[in-house]
Formats: sequence, structure tokens, C-alpha cells
Amino acid sequence: MKGKKEDKALSDLFRQKLGNAEVIPSSSVSKALMRRLMRREFLHFNPSRFNIWYTGGVIVAGAALSLVLSSGPGENDRPAESKAATGINKPAVVDDRTSDATSLPDVKQAEDARITRKKTDISTERPSGEIASDAEIKRYPEKKRNIVSPTEVPSIPEEGLFRDGKTEKNKLQGASGQVNNLIWASVTEGCTPLKVSFINRSLSSDSCRWTFGDGGYSYRKDTEWLFDVEGQYEVILRVFSPDGRQSFSSVLITVYPSPVARFEITPEYAIIPDDEITFLNYSTDAEKYRWDFGDGTASDLFEPRHYYSRSGNYNIRLIAYSDYGCSDSIVVKNAFGSGYYVRFPNALMPNPNGPSGGYYSNRSDEYANVFHPAHSGVSDYQLRIFSRHGILVFESNDVNIGWDGYYKGQLSEPGVYIWKVRGNYINGEPFTLMGDLTLLRTP
Amino acid sequence: MSSKCPQFMMSDRQIIEGCARHERKSQQELYSRYSGFLLGVCLRYATDKAEAEDILQDSFLKIFFNIKDFSGTGSFIGWLRKIAVNTAITHYHKNLKFRYHIEIEDFVSVETGTSSFEEDLFTSDELYKVLNELPAGYRMVFNLYAVEGYKHKEIAEMLGIDTNTSKSQYSRAKAVIRNKLGKLRKLKGNYPASD
Repeated sequence: MKGKKEDKALSDLFRQKLGNAEVIPSSSVSKALMRRLMRREFLHFNPSRFNIWYTGGVIVAGAALSLVLSSGPGENDRPAESKAATGINKPAVVDDRTSDATSLPDVKQAEDARITRKKTDISTERPSGEIASDAEIKRYPEKKRNIVSPTEVPSIPEEGLFRDGKTEKNKLQGASGQVNNLIWASVTEGCTPLKVSFINRSLSSDSCRWTFGDGGYSYRKDTEWLFDVEGQYEVILRVFSPDGRQSFSSVLITVYPSPVARFEITPEYAIIPDDEITFLNYSTDAEKYRWDFGDGTASDLFEPRHYYSRSGNYNIRLIAYSDYGCSDSIVVKNAFGSGYYVRFPNALMPNPNGPSGGYYSNRSDEYANVFHPAHSGVSDYQLRIFSRHGILVFESNDVNIGWDGYYKGQLSEPGVYIWKVRGNYINGEPFTLMGDLTLLRTP
Repeated sequence: MSSKCPQFMMSDRQIIEGCARHERKSQQELYSRYSGFLLGVCLRYATDKAEAEDILQDSFLKIFFNIKDFSGTGSFIGWLRKIAVNTAITHYHKNLKFRYHIEIEDFVSVETGTSSFEEDLFTSDELYKVLNELPAGYRMVFNLYAVEGYKHKEIAEMLGIDTNTSKSQYSRAKAVIRNKLGKLRKLKGNYPASD
């Protein structure tokens, strides 16, 4: 029982609210409709409405036919005349259809008069049917307005306000400073997110409704709105007077996409100053770029490459600019870490001729006889290496001494060993690393 | 509509006769007089305003070409509405991809607190939005049954579906609508009273 009641309430709600609701169609609908109507009517032959186009067509076709038939093949003047007549008259029929729909009385005019009239039409301004149909389209809403506006029907067509002394072009530009526009907008274009303050400049305190073109609305007199998606929004203000009349005003807000600056540095673990750094640009919605490499140099390229001459802390900044004057920037601070590192190989091939004591230099150890790190900026250091049975086979507190593969004077068994290192860099930053190494038998 | 300017006023009868003669002026008058109302009807059957305007155009073409068939006995506005509704149904059939729609979630009827929806709580815009967001099948049945007042049997015939389908679609549509209105009301609870 209760369900029935609710059911009724729901359908009543919709019936009462929407049963006779009026929604004002966009102005383009009437234009499109009229175009389709004309096309349909033209094709739709209706004997009860013996229309002017068919009359005209029949007359012209008849005239052309008679001229062609009466002109002999040997005569010079008359074929030319007939060509002229057909050449002009045939498009004239089309022209008449689109441009002059209201001239019903013309039916009774003499054929000559019609032809001369059309000739002047053609020579002055309407060479083709397309332009003429544009003229018709423009004329139609004006006509409608003439009917509507003096009667002050609530449904003023949406272009109504723009028609008052302004051209269509002005409407598209939608500047905020228009005199007879009820809306004042703080900005009319900008980048996302665009916050716009709107002021309803009508002097009365009538209720009003703002629609922002993105589904949002407001009933406040003055309001502000945040457009966070790019696009063009027609902000419409409707003011309702107590006697039920509405007035409209609209302003076009253009929201451009905001650029987003993003980049990546390759190689990921670059060694400064040895490696050439490539900057991969992942910015979006941007056209121009400005790179600041942090060492006093800069670039405008999309994806620049750069060599740093000294190791150190570099803050890299990318600023991405869009065509609409918006920008975004991103800074990667301390892009290459401190420039200090410890890195180990994963294999060792000891010298079978006896222990070396673990001294090494980068140049002397080309046969990987000593297990040692490549390093930079290491201050405190402890390296320990364990066998798979958990026996500590090597320990070093000096980064310049590595493992030569000997344990208690004996060459260790080939196999996998585990290493662990910890310590501090010279800037105090601690590090702990571990891994495995494979001890290989010397061939 | 307005009696202030009698020279511009045409009675419905005059308009109908003019339109039957394909007079441009009468057609324009008919359009300016009833397009708002008819778009209101079409919008209930569409997903957005653009689609509603398409239906509106088709409706007006039908109206202009068939106006001589209007008997003149019933109400003219009722006749117009019927044409718009029929056009919307044709449109629905043309764009029909799925015969009918079943939500994946099972709609448990939501607790609405009060048993009826206060009319002043929702603007017609919001109600339109609720309708526009419905799946097409739900929307058709709900409109035809709840707003237009057709019987399920008639709806089944019009849409080419089973009577039981119409009924079940209607009850599901109701559940969705009630759910949406409930959410909307909760949302509006935080809002200051509008106008």
C-alpha cells in the first residue's frame, strides 16, 4: 500500500514538473528545421498547393524548349540567344526557391518581368543558390523576433539580446565589457583551472539563474565559478521578473588547457661528470620549453642533451609554455644525488699465483683479480664477504683494499659468495648495500 | 499567449489552416508558440539537449506535413504532444542497440525517509537531468507510463516489447530514479535554499 503511494508521488512529481515544462530550443534548431522544411517541401509535390517553383520551372522549361525548337541550325543569332536564356534561367529557378519564398503574388506576373527580375538578381548579388540560402537563414530569426518580441512572450529566442544592435561576430567574441550585457565577468579566457567572478549587473533584485555551460548553476546574484576542464563555455544568466518574464544574457568563457611540465633524466644513475645526460620531455599541452640545467647553462630545445663539467648538486628546472601564455614548471632538486656512489661487480677471478693483499687500482685490475667497488666520496666503509656456509671469509675497513679471493692463505672454492657493505659518504649520508658474487676458477 | 498586441495574434485555428496551406508565417508562428513545450516533451525522452532537438526537428517536420490530418476535434496541444512522443519512440527504435536494459547491481529499494517527494525540492532541470541519465529503455517506459499515462499494454505495443518487460523496466526505472533523487536531496541538504 505504501509502495503504491510512493509510486504515485513519484509519477506525480514528474507529471507536474515536466508534463507541461517548456525548454527553449537553441536558435540553430529553427534554422536547421527551416532548411529541412524547405528542402522537403520542394521535393514534396503537392497538387493542392500548386507552388510557385513548379510554375516557374514549367514556364521556364517551356520557354527554353520553344526557343530551342524554333531556332534553326543555320542561324547565328538565335542559338546564342537561346543559350543565354537557358543559361540564366535554369539556375534562376533554383535561386527563386531558396531566396524568395514569400513572393506568392509573383505567380501572376508576366514571364518577361520574371526573367528580367531574376537577371538583375543574378547580376547584383546572388550568383549561386548557396549564398541566397544564407540570406534566407539570416532573415528567418529576425522575422521570428518581430513576431515574438512585441508580444513579450516569455520565450524570447536565445539570440534575442544579441540581435539588439550587435552582429553575430560580436556574440562569438563575447567580450565582457558590452554595454547591454547583464553579465560582468572578471576574465573571459584563461587556462585551467580558471576561476571567474561573475556579476549580475541588472539593477533589479529579480531572481536569477546562472548556468555555466558545464552543467553547473547558481542562484546567487553575483557568483564565481571554477572551470577546471578546458573548453568553451557559454555562461547564461537568466533573470526572472516577478511577472514571469525572463531576460537572458550570455558570455563566452574560453578555457585553455594548462600545460604540464614533466621530464625524466637518463641514464637513471648517471655518473657526473662522465655521462652525457639526456632529458626526456614528457610535458603536455605545451609549445615552448625552457631548461635550466642548474650549472648556469640553459636550453630552449625540446629534449636537450647536456654534459656537466663537474660533479655536484644540480637543480634542474623545466618551464613549459603553452600558446595561450600559460606555463608550468617543475624542478628536480639534487638531480644526480650527491654524486657519491659505491658500486660492486658480481664476479671475481682470483690470481692463482698467490694472494695479492687486495690492493688494487682501477687501471691494474683489468682481470678482476680483486673484488672491489667503484666508488666516489666514501668516508667510512666496512665490507664483509661470507661463504655460503656463513663463514666470514673477508673483511675490510678500507675502501682501497678489496678481496683477492684468498682465505687464510688458501684460494677459496669457486662458487657464490655473499657480500655486505656499509658506511658513510663524506657528506655524512649512510649507505648499506649487499649482494652476491661468483668466484670463478681461472681458466 | 499575450493579448497586448492583437495584430500579431493568430488563433490556433488560423495557424493550423495556414500551416495546412504551407504558409511560412503560420509555420513560424507555430514553431515559436509550441517549440518550447515540445522540446520539453522531447527532452524527457532524450539523453541530452542535442538529441532532444533532433527529435524536435523531426517532430516539426511531421507536424508541418501532416497538419491537415489534424481532425480539429481533440486538443491541438495533445495532438502535438502525441506526435512528439511518437517521434521520440521512432527515434528510440532507430537508435536501439539493446532490446532492454538490466542493471548489474540488484536495486534494493532505497530508504527515502518520507514517503513522498516534495515537489519544491527539485527543479525541473534536475528532474530532466535524472531522466536524461536513465538508460534509454527505462526512460521510455517511465515517461510513457508515469508522465504520459499510457497503460503497460499500450507501451508494450508501442515499443515492441513484452508487457511484463514494460512492467519490470518501469519498476527498475523507479528504483533508479528514487535512488538518484535521494542522492540529490542529500546533496541539496548541504546547500542553502535556492532562490
